[in-house]
Amino acid sequence: MGGEDVGREALDFERGGIAVLDSAGNVTWTDDAWTADDNKGGLPRAPIGTNLLQAYRGHEDPRAQVVADGIVAVFEGKAMYFEIEHRASRESVRSFLTSVAALRGDGAGAVVIHKVVGVRAPHDPPHPVDVRSTSGAPIRIEIERLTPREREVLELMAAGLDNRAIAAKLRIQYSTVRGHVRSVIEKVGARSRLEAVARAYRNGWVAKE
Amino acid sequence: MRRSPDAPAYPIPSHVAFLHYGESEMRDAVFEFLLAGLERPNEALFCFGEPGVGERLLRYLESRVGRDLSPEYRAGRIVLGTADPDVDRQLENVIAPLEALSTSGFALVRFVGVVAWNVLDFPPPEDFLWFESKLNEVISGFPVIGLCPYDLARMPARAIVYGALETHPFVLSDGALRQNPQFIRPDRYLRERLLALPWLQDEGRARVQARDLRPGLPDGSGP
Repeated sequence: MGGEDVGREALDFERGGIAVLDSAGNVTWTDDAWTADDNKGGLPRAPIGTNLLQAYRGHEDPRAQVVADGIVAVFEGKAMYFEIEHRASRESVRSFLTSVAALRGDGAGAVVIHKVVGVRAPHDPPHPVDVRSTSGAPIRIEIERLTPREREVLELMAAGLDNRAIAAKLRIQYSTVRGHVRSVIEKVGARSRLEAVARAYRNGWVAKE
Repeated sequence: MRRSPDAPAYPIPSHVAFLHYGESEMRDAVFEFLLAGLERPNEALFCFGEPGVGERLLRYLESRVGRDLSPEYRAGRIVLGTADPDVDRQLENVIAPLEALSTSGFALVRFVGVVAWNVLDFPPPEDFLWFESKLNEVISGFPVIGLCPYDLARMPARAIVYGALETHPFVLSDGALRQNPQFIRPDRYLRERLLALPWLQDEGRARVQARDLRPGLPDGSGP
């Protein structure tokens, strides 16, 4: 087993956990599960008294940067809530949901929650995506993953066209449009057609008239 | 079985939100609506909803008229359609039968689309609202009366406000058909309403998160 495989196996043993941050990103409270996973790879689990944001910023896993973006967005008031579903790789057995929620009141910070949301059986095909955000926070990775044709389709979805109309407009097969729409929804991490459109407007991926 | 003499005079085409309390009121009104078409050989019936809903409406219609309607079903005069979590497929599941019935020469199609909200076999609520709005464009191309029952006893307020009242040019309640002043045309509905749905905004997500953290809280957040 190579070093990369060992790393992935370690990531798949990653468990859930909860941490409370102050407004500077310092960890002020954690549950036992949070600290139990420290030093086992995966997203960093900064202990009480250390700074989680800095730990994420200094970590090489790209998922840590995305979560750090979400924490900053919450701290800056650009989002009340941020969540991202992720896994270490396409082959990973487990997937996780990391949620960041703003806290109100004096010294308000945020709560960060990791939880296991999916366990893939060994015979199941690999998960189709590695990173899926479900927040309005500025996650550049989503739009950059769309092909030029998918961006075109997203713009027409945002204009209110159904798949038939999109097919006619682009002079392509209806079934091809269906595939593009499914891909767009998946890549931007939306659960629905309208959520993808709403996210496209909110993040400026399509022009507002 | 006779129809009540004061059946609403539906414009053709029309898309009507039928506001009712409970299953029995829905069945009685839908029966009256479908029976009127059954009595006219040049009209077709199209029952649509979650899996099994169309079949149940057909069985109910059979029990009320006291005869087997499978000949009409086999002949294609009665069509049963099924909802789909994929909203565009659901739209196709409506458009394709309407095209077929229109091509077959029926003078009128009586469409009943039983509404569901936030259930597994139905599109997500925001997609369903888009579908309801889109139906106005679809229906405008066919001789069809579309009746969408919204159960006031079961549907959340947001389904009634955003769905029944804002996507239907007509409302049927207490047996009276009225033009709906709350209706928003499809070309405006997407921008003015759908993109501002509270559960698609960050604020809504924050409330969902708060509920998840404190399971005892009442759910006033999700669709």
